[in-house]
Amino acid sequence: MRYVEWTFLFILSGIGIALANFVGFDVGFMESLPGIGVLLLISILGVVVHKLVPLQLPIVAYVSLIGLLAACPISPARDFVIEAAGKINFTAPLTMVGAYAGMSISGQIKSFLKQGWKMILIGVFVMTGTFLGSAIIAQVVMKITGTI
Amino acid sequence: MGDYVYPSLKSRIKTEYKIYILALLFIAVADSIGQIQIPLGPGKFILFPIFYSLILGILSGPQVTKVIQSKQVKAASKLVIVAICPFIAKLGINAGASLEIVLSAGPALLLQEFGNLGTILLAMPLALLLGLKRESVGATHSINRESNLALITDMFGPDSPEARGSLSIYIVGGMVGTIYFGFMVSVIALFGIFHPYALGMASGVGAGIMMASATASLAEIYPAMADQISALASASETISGIDGIYMTIFFGIPLCNFLYRKLEPKLGRIADRRIEKRAKGKEDRS
Repeated sequence: MRYVEWTFLFILSGIGIALANFVGFDVGFMESLPGIGVLLLISILGVVVHKLVPLQLPIVAYVSLIGLLAACPISPARDFVIEAAGKINFTAPLTMVGAYAGMSISGQIKSFLKQGWKMILIGVFVMTGTFLGSAIIAQVVMKITGTI
Repeated sequence: MGDYVYPSLKSRIKTEYKIYILALLFIAVADSIGQIQIPLGPGKFILFPIFYSLILGILSGPQVTKVIQSKQVKAASKLVIVAICPFIAKLGINAGASLEIVLSAGPALLLQEFGNLGTILLAMPLALLLGLKRESVGATHSINRESNLALITDMFGPDSPEARGSLSIYIVGGMVGTIYFGFMVSVIALFGIFHPYALGMASGVGAGIMMASATASLAEIYPAMADQISALASASETISGIDGIYMTIFFGIPLCNFLYRKLEPKLGRIADRRIEKRAKGKEDRS
């Protein structure tokens, strides 16, 4: 995608976040604006870094890292970034993700229904296994290192 | 750099404008319904607006109401990544704001990546008992998101039973993963075995939307620790995104192959016998 396409789609996402934040949580558009600006700027920077760095890492890895740097204790903008992003309710950016994701899997609903109970049951075990396995190791290691 | 999907932004908008309008409409509907908490036994099942918009999205598709066509379905899958970036940025900010916790949990964050292998240990025996053969390797080697599906297709070929198994679980995960993850996490939290930090960390499985759903549930159950939980989820998700493919190549697939060799002769026979018996039963009746 070109930068102009990314920028357009991010602004559209920003409108979606503002809408969700307003409809769902009564946060006015102007109040959401700085937070949305911060989130979109970090997202665009993530895309730029992804295009410039020749490593095969997903965009979200860069976005997450830049977000972390922007809010870490040595960042000069730390307080502003944390306060602005704090105005955006945690689940507000997600509704649009759900809408796109729903549309993108809508072509598979028939093959999903055809999968039958076996594959659905295995899928449930797959998801549960991944989560439980990680939780067990995390719990044990954090107990040993004294984090919890 | 000549391989753009659209010749210009204008032609992108022309193809996708329906998606944009629907997405904004779904947000208005989903967020005005808001969160619904359904008491379920001793715990609660929390429904988030993301679930409603997901379902509305599925309903708008070419196999139900046909509001959008196959062309737009394909376009929408590219848009998911755009929409999830601001959310990931927010999680990154949370991680930066709670950097001390993330750093002190460093060893656990790195080691819990091996927990993804729990999938294989739990799901492979089940798949074999249900009568799957080599499909089980693709189906249970990992959580089967886009990158895993691509890897399996590449390793075994698109017509292989392994790729068929992987695709099946990929579809199941896409359909029920978001809702199931939020639900499963709240049930596991009920037992009180795991510290909320461990649950947060385990939420980062390499599938952004599942992580989002799990983290949203945890934030609702443990409001006082919501920031730290999302910080750990985000850190773990980022690490999964970086090392997930290598975990699969060097640990996941070899473990699958090993278990398959050891278990299939035993568990597969049970499945075969059952399937034979059922076939015979049908024959006797007819």
